[in-house]
Amino acid sequence: MGHSWRYRLEHLDKPLVVATALLLGLGLVALYSACAQAGDSPWAGNFGRQLGWLALGFVGFVLACVVSLQLLNYLAYFLYGVSVILLVLLLLFGKGPGVARWLALGPVQIQPAELAKVALVLALARFLSDTTTDLDRTVDLLKAFGLALVPMALVAKQPNLGTAMVFGAVLLPMLFWAGLSLSSLFIIVSPMLSFVAAFHKVALVGVLVLVILALVILRASPRKIVLALALNIAAALAAPMLWNQLHDYQQQRILAFLGLKQDPMGLSYQVIQSKVAIGSGGIWGKGLLHGTQTHLRFLPAQHTDFIFSVIGEELGFVGTMAALCLFAFFLYRCLKIATQARNAFASYVVMGVFSVFAWHILVNVGMAVGIMPVTGLPLPFMSYGGSFLLASLIMVGLVANVSMRWDEY
Amino acid sequence: MAKSGLDIEARRRVVAWILGAALLILAGRLFQLQVVQHEVYFRQSEKNRVRVITLEPPRGQIYDRNHRPLVENLPCYTLSVLPHHYRGREDLLVSLASFVGANPEEMARSVRQGQRAEFLPVKVRRDMPFELLARVQERWLDFPGLVIETEPKRTYTGMSRLSHVLGYLGEVAESELKALKDQDYRTGDIIGKTGLERQYEKVLRGRRGYQYVEVDALGREIRTLPMEKWIPPSPGLDLVLAIDDRLQAKLESLLEGKRAAGVFLDPRNGEVLALASSPSYDLQWFAGVLNPAVWDSLVSHPDKPLLNRVTQGLYPPGSTYKLITALAGVNDGVFSPESRVSCGGGLSYGGRFFACWYGQGHGSQDLYGAIAHSCNVYFYTMGMRVGLERWARYSRLLRFGQPTGIDLPAERAGLVPDAHYMDTRYGKGNWVGGTMLNLAIGQGDLLTTPLQMAQLAMVIANRGKGFVPHVVKALENPLTGKQMPVRVDSFVVREIRPEVFEVVREGMREVVNGAGGTGRGCALGDVIVAGKTGTAQNPHGDPHGWFIGFAPYDAPEVAFCVFVENGGSGSGAAVPIVREVLRLYFDEVRVSAPAQMAAAPSRSLSSLAR
Repeated sequence: MGHSWRYRLEHLDKPLVVATALLLGLGLVALYSACAQAGDSPWAGNFGRQLGWLALGFVGFVLACVVSLQLLNYLAYFLYGVSVILLVLLLLFGKGPGVARWLALGPVQIQPAELAKVALVLALARFLSDTTTDLDRTVDLLKAFGLALVPMALVAKQPNLGTAMVFGAVLLPMLFWAGLSLSSLFIIVSPMLSFVAAFHKVALVGVLVLVILALVILRASPRKIVLALALNIAAALAAPMLWNQLHDYQQQRILAFLGLKQDPMGLSYQVIQSKVAIGSGGIWGKGLLHGTQTHLRFLPAQHTDFIFSVIGEELGFVGTMAALCLFAFFLYRCLKIATQARNAFASYVVMGVFSVFAWHILVNVGMAVGIMPVTGLPLPFMSYGGSFLLASLIMVGLVANVSMRWDEY
Repeated sequence: MAKSGLDIEARRRVVAWILGAALLILAGRLFQLQVVQHEVYFRQSEKNRVRVITLEPPRGQIYDRNHRPLVENLPCYTLSVLPHHYRGREDLLVSLASFVGANPEEMARSVRQGQRAEFLPVKVRRDMPFELLARVQERWLDFPGLVIETEPKRTYTGMSRLSHVLGYLGEVAESELKALKDQDYRTGDIIGKTGLERQYEKVLRGRRGYQYVEVDALGREIRTLPMEKWIPPSPGLDLVLAIDDRLQAKLESLLEGKRAAGVFLDPRNGEVLALASSPSYDLQWFAGVLNPAVWDSLVSHPDKPLLNRVTQGLYPPGSTYKLITALAGVNDGVFSPESRVSCGGGLSYGGRFFACWYGQGHGSQDLYGAIAHSCNVYFYTMGMRVGLERWARYSRLLRFGQPTGIDLPAERAGLVPDAHYMDTRYGKGNWVGGTMLNLAIGQGDLLTTPLQMAQLAMVIANRGKGFVPHVVKALENPLTGKQMPVRVDSFVVREIRPEVFEVVREGMREVVNGAGGTGRGCALGDVIVAGKTGTAQNPHGDPHGWFIGFAPYDAPEVAFCVFVENGGSGSGAAVPIVREVLRLYFDEVRVSAPAQMAAAPSRSLSSLAR
């Protein structure tokens, strides 16, 4: 407590900030290329807007850096509540092309779902760091789930399944970080296997047997095994119902990804074009602004979800490796800060941020190279999209904040 | 901190390992795509952006012997689509079809076929009117992958129709595509279907060129790649015909309204000066898009306007064929030209009465008189002496029963019956009776084409020498104007002595110039014409009228055959037509004596045919 600013700045994790800055720079280069079209000035379009959001994001970063951890802890549930209300409002009054994702806030349009990611990280961190919380108590575990499920359901309703899954992807690592035992974690994860296996009877039986075996090996109590089985069977029963709830295009995408449906010019067109772009880049790439797939618009969503393909095509294997290494280094710094933090709330916040970024990076790059389904998640620091850029920089700010105050309790 | 089974260091390691493994998988995948499979994807990306634009060569034009244009090209606009944009988009294809006024099913079929080579455009609408072209350009973005190509369309500028000779073009058929696999034909291409357009397809077509353009994902052209990557088209060669447009127009007008055929050859080289079949049709109907109703009416018309009667019509030649009987008998010494036979209006043979066309009888006459008056009884008598085998042999010597080899497609061979044929057709011993009597006067099972009869006239005019009839005189390079004459194949009927031909020639002169000759209607006064009429009985109605011959008698410049289906008689129906055409020929057209065949390398007809 009470250290001078000079002291705190000395402890600011500079490698984290440098990695962020480099990633932002690489992202801007790729975005410039994706937005540059013959005859158009890229500054006037999406690229220019992204620069504006970057300025706003810098403000968010600084604020997130300087705010005290106590205040954040105090505000966590309030911010969570505000974001849930925004998501409800969005469902009632939102607008967007076919789906309700944007909410007009004065002159700018924001996606409340992106800010809800930050709010959920803070709320979960507060809940998990609360001394009265005991994850071995089922009630507390269910409360943690409830915190994640509310925004998840609201976002899924938009519908935006890809973003909704981020909330789930944040919850599990944070629970693990907060000390949930491996067997409990397994009980939580295993219903997902049953959920997928539910479409094939033999596979379902196999998964159930494996779940029991694994829990026995992990020396779980009989009570836990029964609970796990119940959860698994419930998931298996729910799966067909939820499948029918999915929109047609969502079903198609999943089927196409699983190779159950052949449609090279339709749904998997994006993935094929992305792979062509990345693969054609080779080791050194075609050079900035020389990517033919990018500039002839064969690549769909090249400035948003498929920005990584632009790097792949124009900067080659060297470029994609550089980006991947920067991301790895960035995540490594986050993990280091989360480990060093003495304050549990702070540590959980950083772990939550780590999870959001890791999930986005793995899913987005996996999608661009064709090993993950197309979910429409943006790539942190690079994809065009103001709300997520703002949320990302706030989250980096939170991590930087913790790095400065690592010794505070 | 909450209590945990693992301390924080262990948890950090678990998270780090999971993250590291995931990142390694991504890195490995990137290595696979960008390093291992780079070639595959690079080629794919090149194919993505570069589209081949076909540069259609202009099709060769066609001129008459005086270089008057008969067939020229007009530009017309063709709409094509890039098939891969329409995979699984039948709805879009249907709305495109209705927008441009094409048959949606046909369009879907050709687009499906085209999907095998997905980056080549498929033609879906030919010969678009300018106004439709403008509307298509307005809605350019509603339909992906549209391409507009300019294609030449045939236009006919001669005085004559020449429909059967020139022939028409049409879209290449699936079966033709298979047969022409190695010749760069694609679905939707235009190919010669009949006539010279078909015969000289290879020459007229030229070779297509290719240009490469860079396109975006919507198929819009961004820029054209440098010239050195182009393959320029080479234009098709022009055809210069032996046909004289004026003579042809005259012949066509004389045949109009009849079912008839006429062909005029230059016996000095086999050039076809005029060749017409009636009824005919307007080739302009086939340029651009053919109206199906027009096609149906042409195909179902009882007078068969699509049939080229000159080369494809098979008819009994009637009395014109008495010349063969005469040549065979005199050449083999079976009878002499001075042998006399008395005609009393008919002849009894095998219990049947064989009538002469002149019921009162011609009285006693020699061969010359018999040819001039076309006496049946004389040739019944001589035919019996000649016998079937000799008669059939001489028929074949004079090239009956086989195509003449004219440079027009689908020529028929005709039929020369011999003992073997009669045995097969009627059974051994069932036909002997009066068969030879009928054949001797050109009746019975014998079938000839009018062109074969004109060829006979040419051979007699030349006393045994003949040339393969040909419509095309020379090929002309449209860029340099240099002409390459086609090689003319000739033949000599050595087995028949020139004196024997002389006998028949004299008889034919009498036909036109002698007292009571059946061809007197063709006597021109200043030019001596020789000929032979024919009136062929047939089971379908009035007798067919024939007239074959040549002129001038001493140095023949024209050999001809005119045939009028159910015309009544040769002298009534055919002779006046010949007279008119010869009049025009000798008054205006008259072809100067042919120059010696050019020493320049020429190409034979057979090497040009596809």
